[in-house]
Amino acid sequence: MPKYAMAVDLERCQGCRACVEACKVENNTSQGVFWMHVFRLEEGEYPETRISFLPRPCQHCDNAPCVKVCPVGARYKRIDGLVLTDYERCIGCRYCEVACPYGVNFFNWKQPAENYYMDWSDPDIQPASGGEVPPYRNPELDGRYGSEQKQVAGGGHFRGIVEKCTFCVQRIEKGLQPACVTVCPVQALVFGDLEDQESPVSTYLRGKQSFRLLEETGTEPRVHYIGGRTPGTDVREIEPVEGRVGA
Amino acid sequence: MSANAPGTPLPQGIGRITPGWLTIVGLAAVAVALGIYAYSLEASEGLVATGLRDLGTMGGATWGLYVTFVVYFGGVAFGGVTLAALIRLLRLDELRPIGRLGQLLTVVALLLAAIAILVDLGQPLRGLVNLFLYARPQSPFFGTFTIVLSGYLFASLVYLYLDGRRDAAICARTPSRLRWLYRLWAAGYGDSPGERARHRRASFWLAVAIVPLLVVATSTLGFVFGLQAGRPGWYSAVQAPAFVTLAGVSGVGLLIVLAAVVRRVAGSEDRLGLNVFRRLGGLLLGLVLVYLFLLATELFTATYTGEVVERRLTEALLWGEFAGIFWAALAFFLLSLALLLWQALTRRWSIPLLVVAGLLVNLAAIGKRYLIVVPSQTHGQLLPYPEGSYTPALGEFAVIAGLFGLGVLLIALFMKVFPIVELPEEEVPAGA
Amino acid sequence: MRNVLTVLMVVVGFALQAISYFALAAPWVTTGVASGEPRVVGAPVLFIAGVVLVFLAAVVYELLPEKRGR
Ligand code: SF4
Ligand code: SF4
Repeated sequence: MPKYAMAVDLERCQGCRACVEACKVENNTSQGVFWMHVFRLEEGEYPETRISFLPRPCQHCDNAPCVKVCPVGARYKRIDGLVLTDYERCIGCRYCEVACPYGVNFFNWKQPAENYYMDWSDPDIQPASGGEVPPYRNPELDGRYGSEQKQVAGGGHFRGIVEKCTFCVQRIEKGLQPACVTVCPVQALVFGDLEDQESPVSTYLRGKQSFRLLEETGTEPRVHYIGGRTPGTDVREIEPVEGRVGA
Repeated sequence: MSANAPGTPLPQGIGRITPGWLTIVGLAAVAVALGIYAYSLEASEGLVATGLRDLGTMGGATWGLYVTFVVYFGGVAFGGVTLAALIRLLRLDELRPIGRLGQLLTVVALLLAAIAILVDLGQPLRGLVNLFLYARPQSPFFGTFTIVLSGYLFASLVYLYLDGRRDAAICARTPSRLRWLYRLWAAGYGDSPGERARHRRASFWLAVAIVPLLVVATSTLGFVFGLQAGRPGWYSAVQAPAFVTLAGVSGVGLLIVLAAVVRRVAGSEDRLGLNVFRRLGGLLLGLVLVYLFLLATELFTATYTGEVVERRLTEALLWGEFAGIFWAALAFFLLSLALLLWQALTRRWSIPLLVVAGLLVNLAAIGKRYLIVVPSQTHGQLLPYPEGSYTPALGEFAVIAGLFGLGVLLIALFMKVFPIVELPEEEVPAGA
Repeated sequence: MRNVLTVLMVVVGFALQAISYFALAAPWVTTGVASGEPRVVGAPVLFIAGVVLVFLAAVVYELLPEKRGR
């Protein structure tokens, strides 16, 4: 069985947020939902400031608090290490969301159809679109994956359930890399199988200093960070993503 | 026995509809209607109608008012039935007249807690099905607690039923429209010495079974928060004992208030005498003292340790966004403590003052529950997310008001069909 | 007869609770793949049935012998 993991090279990351965009396109996530988020951080007092970037996917923890607290077993960990949500089982209690120390879970507050960035039925855009609704929905997101054959891929499926980064399960199962990894222009993100000594992550991590986020909470994350360090205590986020879903 | 004579009305104003009762029921019904309307909006639009939002980049709280009241109602339920059971276990005969009120309070509060959970779920219908199919004991709250909740709802119903048989038999002696109900409820109870002894045994063992399991259940409620290592302000061993104590405080406080109301409207001044209230007041005093001690421990730990996020959270509590609620809750606790202490020291107990204390502790308990649920989400992020905020939407307040309305409605209805204060002991009727 | 039935209900009730608790999920496995899925679908219903049975025993104890009593 593979043991999937991700490496994030903080020395390379330039904070362009291309991965954030790629994730949204690939997984068709709703308004204000950022399965991948890149912190743009500032530390210290002017003129002694230091800027740093910190990409934050779901950490796919080995000892995942979100899995532990899910009352109905909708959140589960696969043998290959992916932490996924069964969209047909989740009852929307959001316990996983409060239990996760990384803030990576997103609830579908609205009806999916009302929750996209562009409302294609809006009369104002009819002249431009000619009434066409582009086939933007990736059919692979409706598939069933893994030995459990559960609906776990993509976002915005049902109202009132919780979704989060899946490491692009629909791509991994085809032997592809997650969308964020493919798109990163400086290859700051590396994905692969830790069991396989020759996989990109294994070779990348070999012999390098690495750390994981919030290790003190005992979550055993599967995302390893290289270069840089754990964000200090007086960091501020500059240009925070403002994604509050409106009523 | 006068209740036997034809023409005598049923005790405690059962079956008599008074204008005052109608007003209360009308108001409660309006609140319920309001709550249903607010929830229907939420059901059609989704939870976007509430003030809740995601943690992290969305800068919100994902558990809010609803969870606050799940915890609050759960606590009240615990207080009610525990007291009723303790009366049996410790033979506190003086307090017997409020036993039924305690049991009823528990049944109603559990029902309200269950509704509050359902209202909070994104997929309530799935919740009803999936919790029964897949619930996992590893999940402290919605797994275990929902099961425990349904179990305890049943347990307190059984308790209420068995304890009420004698009174039902007494009521069944008077001809009335509800006679069939009393006959059914009494199920042939004749109040013979043998039956009394058997009932005493059965309710003793019921009490033995209920108390420890309820402590476990309420602790589970504390574990919901106390076990979350990734949430500053929640991860604490004091969480479970503090939950149980505060549950007792709010339960006993509400019981005092209810008992005072019942005393007036059901004409039970003699049964619910000052001695009952004095006992309850003393109990409340003890519980408030223990709770304040736990609270002080918690605060001292939080301010003393240097952990940054923990400190930021404490600052938000003490001087920041939540300071208003925090200090108000503390002031209410201290005020009620002063009221109770003064009465205890001067040995002059007064029902109005006790009612004030009961109301104050309940307001404080609600505030404290809110402060447990919300700040850790908006101000307790370990990664450098900006501070979040949460303001409950009007609809959320309306739903909560509806829940309280439903509670009042149920208790008011009960009062018109069954003696809410246990009828006095009487001689064994010869003809039974 | 009444006592036997009562005790039986209590015992069966508690047994049902215990069995279904372990059927719900192995509580000692908190990590790994197995932790997500409850082991037996519908075990919570059994657990509740156990609780109900135990408390129903009290009702049986009080109500049962009315006819055969004296
Ligand atoms: S990062 Fe959060 S959501 Fe992802 S596996 Fe860990 S606890 Fe679960
Ligand atoms: S929101 Fe869904 S996935 Fe998360 S804990 Fe609740 S049921 Fe499980």
